[in-house]
Amino acid sequence: MSYSLNEVQAMAKGAVRGAGYDWGLAESTGRAIRWLCRYGVDGVRALVTLLEQNLSGCSLPFAPQDFKDDQKTPAQICPLQAGTAFSDFSAQKGPELTMKNVCAPVLMLPFIARVAHQQGVCLVASCDGIRASTNGASLWLTQHLPDTAQRFCVCVGDPVGHPSATCHRSFARAEDWEHLNDFSLRTCAPASEESRLRGAGAGVLDDD
Amino acid sequence: MTSQIALRDPATVMRLARLGSLHQCRLSFMRQLTRRMAREKWRFSRRAFDIDDQGVGYAVYRAQGPERVYSLVAFAHDLPPEQRSDRVIAEAWDATFTLFDGVPTDQDIERLSHNVPVQEAGRISETELSLSRANRSCRLWRHAVDQLAQGKQPDPDQIASVGYLMRTTAVYGSGKFGAADRALIADRTEAQAPFQIEMLSVYLTRAFVRDLAEHMAKVQGGEQAVKLAPETARTLGIGNSTGLGMAPFILNHPILLNNWIMAREKAIATVRAVETATDAQITLFQNLLHRSQQAVATWESAHPVQIKKIESLKNDLECLRTYLNRNTLKTAYPWHQLIDWSAQALSEEGQEFIASLVMEPYGDVVDDFSRLMSDDCSMDFAIDGAMPIARVRELIEANFGWAIDLDWQTQENCARVWYVSEEKREPRLGERFEEDLGDYEQPLAPARDAAAAYQALRDRDDSRPVAEFLLEKPEHRHTIRRVQMSQSAPYSEILDNTISDQILPIDLLRAKLSFFGATHFDPRSDRWVRICMYAGAPYPDELTEGNADLWVYPEVPL
Repeated sequence: MSYSLNEVQAMAKGAVRGAGYDWGLAESTGRAIRWLCRYGVDGVRALVTLLEQNLSGCSLPFAPQDFKDDQKTPAQICPLQAGTAFSDFSAQKGPELTMKNVCAPVLMLPFIARVAHQQGVCLVASCDGIRASTNGASLWLTQHLPDTAQRFCVCVGDPVGHPSATCHRSFARAEDWEHLNDFSLRTCAPASEESRLRGAGAGVLDDD
Repeated sequence: MTSQIALRDPATVMRLARLGSLHQCRLSFMRQLTRRMAREKWRFSRRAFDIDDQGVGYAVYRAQGPERVYSLVAFAHDLPPEQRSDRVIAEAWDATFTLFDGVPTDQDIERLSHNVPVQEAGRISETELSLSRANRSCRLWRHAVDQLAQGKQPDPDQIASVGYLMRTTAVYGSGKFGAADRALIADRTEAQAPFQIEMLSVYLTRAFVRDLAEHMAKVQGGEQAVKLAPETARTLGIGNSTGLGMAPFILNHPILLNNWIMAREKAIATVRAVETATDAQITLFQNLLHRSQQAVATWESAHPVQIKKIESLKNDLECLRTYLNRNTLKTAYPWHQLIDWSAQALSEEGQEFIASLVMEPYGDVVDDFSRLMSDDCSMDFAIDGAMPIARVRELIEANFGWAIDLDWQTQENCARVWYVSEEKREPRLGERFEEDLGDYEQPLAPARDAAAAYQALRDRDDSRPVAEFLLEKPEHRHTIRRVQMSQSAPYSEILDNTISDQILPIDLLRAKLSFFGATHFDPRSDRWVRICMYAGAPYPDELTEGNADLWVYPEVPL
């Protein structure tokens, strides 16, 4: 079974909110997962990997561009928080960074792509030796990125790896989809007769 | 055109009461579609009608445009009356539909027959562009079929009091339940304007419903049965029963909302800048006013708010008649004067009615604004993290200055909670102080959230980039995105409190439905409205350039 990219975006947004992140980050993530799926990357699986780590309560002490090897950084870095912050600070601090212990690092790519597009450069992300490059409009991969990155850096460079073909459907695994659905259901109020009667305003006048 | 007329102030236009008074106009999506199909000489045909004596089966209606074919695949069901419900949470319907991209094969029909009838519980694919369902009108269906079966036409008064034989209860598009994403079809000329696929689906649905009623009459009456007289059939539209789902849509698509309102405001300003009106233009305006007045006279509602609004509109139209007796529209800038007068003399219903009506004689300059109404860009919007705090403050003040000093803790200002039920994910509106819903609140109170962000920014250095604020206060990210988007979209925000105890969600519903081109708003509650679509329109086999546009104004003797 395949999913439309709109479905992917909506599901990702709901799941991220359900996992405890703020709405704004959930919105950004919906677009990010859509972007990944458009380039044939299984963003649904990556998001499941991340949300299972329960990192929504963590926060970044400063901009990812300011992370240095000798500075105290979170034990595990959430790529959604790091990706949005990387994008937010890119005009001010540039498009390069080095981070340690990034969970589901493939989720950084949509944010890197956005920065690459805005700055008109190609950015190369290196993830424990595996590289992904993007200029915002294309994505090149040397191989699949791992579930976690001990060392993750981004720098300006030339495309490396195989270009990813674009696609307009997601072929996410059913169990991953269900997992995201479980997270997103946390944003929904439980069914109740009172809610059913009052909440939609139809009362019993839903027929004629 | 000799002068520039400023667009109306968002502070005037974007109030809920005014949005809840909008009327259809030349830019409405249904009219855009019928004009296009007539201009491009689309061809229509019924390719299958395999429906049995119980009214169960399927039908296929084909619409052939200059480049592509679309097919409505309709499934008719024998629905027990006790299961008939317009709610999203319903699980069975009298008829279900999908708009197929191209010509479906027998295998496609077979696949769809297992999925379309169960709607949200099934899956459709990228060859399908919409998913919808409709229920019979209990008030009219039986009467119409019985009459036709006896060789008689339905009673015109009963038709007028309902307006449709079936009403749709949801029309899903744009990637829902597996359908093709809008991005896949957005570059097609016939799909560039908003909701054209959904409007085409409903247009073809209307033809199916007529055929189904005639089929059931034939089953019942045999040789005695007659078809609907064409003039009777034309008065029938397709109903639509709309709940709260449209309200979150409007709030969640600020750029789309801006583009719709902006196109309409530009059209209004363009007409206001007309220095002199020709006799033909004045005659057309007066003719359509007369026809509208007749139509409005038939509008009924049981809802006290709408009863009052209909009365206001009727009074306003009488005032307009009196105005036109004194003012011939042959003076300089007649439409500008008329709209200025209406702002002083009429209710918002009347003001917005006139604003729509003055566009009618000017299709040659107005219709092009329809090109501004889609939004295929906001998906790519990225927060400008370098924006100084001072600028963010300015943007909040510009859009939500009225909300900053409101006491958002008092019950009347935050009485409501927008939430989604786990029951088929139905959007609902709850009472914050009576129900335990706070944990499930959707971000549909932009004014409250903007006020909170403004407070959080209070002690921040003006010159610092907003990225620093977002790093520390990620809970304001959705608000910062909205206010930054508003820089180029002055009509993107509703300038009212969407969670107050006074909120009437039907105002949001009506704003959207008016852009569809709906008429005959009939709220069933403060959050549930019935409307009519395509009433008066030619059927596919009747569509010509001569009747493709002004059908929304019923023909009446002058």
